[in-house]
Amino acid sequence: MFDTVLIANRGEIALRILRACRGLGLRTVVAHSEADSEASYVAQADQALCIGPSAPGQSYLNPSAILFAAEVSGAQAIHPGYGFLSENAGFAARVEQAGLVFIGPSVACIRTMGDKVSAKRAMRKAGVPCVPGPDEGLPEDPAAVQAIAREIGYPVIVKAAGGGGGRGMRVVHDEAALLDAMALTREEARQAFGNPEVYIEKFLLHPRHVEIQVLADSHGNAVWLGSRDCSLQRRHQKVIEEAPAPGIDEALLAEVGERCAAACRQIGYCGVGTFEFLYEKGAFYFIEMNTRLQVEHPVTEMTAGIDIVQQQLRMARGERLSIAQADVRCQGHAIECRINAENPDTFAPAPGRITGWQMPGGFGVRVDSHAGTGYRVPPYYDSMIAKLIVHDASRDDALDRMRLALAETRVEGIDTNVPLHRELLRDAGFAAGGVDIHHLERWLQQRSAA
Amino acid sequence: MKQEQIKTLIDALAASDLAELEYSEDGSTLRLVKQSASKGVPAVRRPAAARKAPAAVSADPALPAAAAECLAPLYGVVHLQPAPGEPPFVQPGQTVEAGQMLCVIEAMKMFNEVRADAAATVQAVLVRSGQEVDAGQPLFRFG
Repeated sequence: MFDTVLIANRGEIALRILRACRGLGLRTVVAHSEADSEASYVAQADQALCIGPSAPGQSYLNPSAILFAAEVSGAQAIHPGYGFLSENAGFAARVEQAGLVFIGPSVACIRTMGDKVSAKRAMRKAGVPCVPGPDEGLPEDPAAVQAIAREIGYPVIVKAAGGGGGRGMRVVHDEAALLDAMALTREEARQAFGNPEVYIEKFLLHPRHVEIQVLADSHGNAVWLGSRDCSLQRRHQKVIEEAPAPGIDEALLAEVGERCAAACRQIGYCGVGTFEFLYEKGAFYFIEMNTRLQVEHPVTEMTAGIDIVQQQLRMARGERLSIAQADVRCQGHAIECRINAENPDTFAPAPGRITGWQMPGGFGVRVDSHAGTGYRVPPYYDSMIAKLIVHDASRDDALDRMRLALAETRVEGIDTNVPLHRELLRDAGFAAGGVDIHHLERWLQQRSAA
Repeated sequence: MKQEQIKTLIDALAASDLAELEYSEDGSTLRLVKQSASKGVPAVRRPAAARKAPAAVSADPALPAAAAECLAPLYGVVHLQPAPGEPPFVQPGQTVEAGQMLCVIEAMKMFNEVRADAAATVQAVLVRSGQEVDAGQPLFRFG
């Protein structure tokens, strides 16, 4: 059983994983790039190894460098965090071949879920509700494609089987545009994902993004830890997340949640994972599964009272799940604001030196961040520098707590989206709850028109 | 900060023995640096708490001491060619039109185009492709 974990990621999530390891008495090795040498969590780790230059392709996305770091440091397990190599089946396979533990599900599970068509097929088989449309790739025959689209009913969306996270898709409103859209998406998919397979689904006009967090062990047990609503998005990037998803019938949620847990048992899923759904007019439609820890996991931790990252490590160590579904009690409401180093109006990236840093605190307020005064936000990676999370008895109370927390927050030296969050927390639509995934883009358009 | 005001400050710096001048007003900071070797005076506006993207002032013919350098508008990684193995956007000795692409600065997965403000001749490229550049760092010198 492993006692040393190599953290193959950076930023706030590297620190989050480091803390979880510490809590379980595990030793930590941080593999970092040149740009991250000065990061606070690098100094906190039991051991730190520079695995390459700043560009992610030569460090955090370089499997050989990471495996070599594990070998040199004596780490027996690798935590991939989120992004980078976290959902790369090839990397997971190499970790296993090296005789190490990949902290995540099996290679087979990553592969099945990584292909959107095979994922949909697996979910249908497990009784998870999916978006109307076949769970197989589109045929070459134009007449057959048109017949499928007609049966689904327009508008439809053409998606790449190898896509995900909002990439490789195209909406089609009528039959005249269908074949061109299919050909274009196919070609893009061939180039971007090395897999030209495309499929079509019904395109939902005003859905919400609702997801279910699951936790499964390697002994056939799985539970779901409640729902999250991540509808506030800009260009498919989540901006604010909350738990639970407001205004959804609890019995329906429990039914979908139980289906997700059952799907995990059926496919032999181990570790943490997220089933992402579109939710429209009282119905759930599966879109994809993330086979890794997610950025927004803290809102579920706050409501469920469970340390998800510690649980993930325990599952990877082969422990039996100690939580039964009846033990999972989601209490109160949690909200997370992603604090990004970017201009709040233009969204231009704003890397650079932080000269002043005051984060909020107090009862029900949590900040997950690796940044601080004097930290230089590197230009090579994602712009997220902190996650501000609040928890309170009700959604309204949580909104109030978040407003106060944002008012306390001060970052100097670089631009951040904190002013944007302050404005969003004053938006009547968001405050009412249950906005669709286009709400933020509409809100931004209105703001720029005003 | 008004342009007249900036001009006044440039003139004041030029007439003095000072090498550098920093001026703050309403959260915006203007830093002027005199360069002995160059006739140009690069200027960068760096809003601290203000909600404006950092803007580079370069080769603006309206300014008395015509700035002869193009400065990086933000901190990032500079790319002098559209893709590895391809020829650079511009080379020394080449004349460029106003609006012509000079380089790209990559920051946080976003590519920011840097274009010429006015027609000029590239005298020197002051950075290497793939290099990290600071906001306000000179990228090109124009003849």
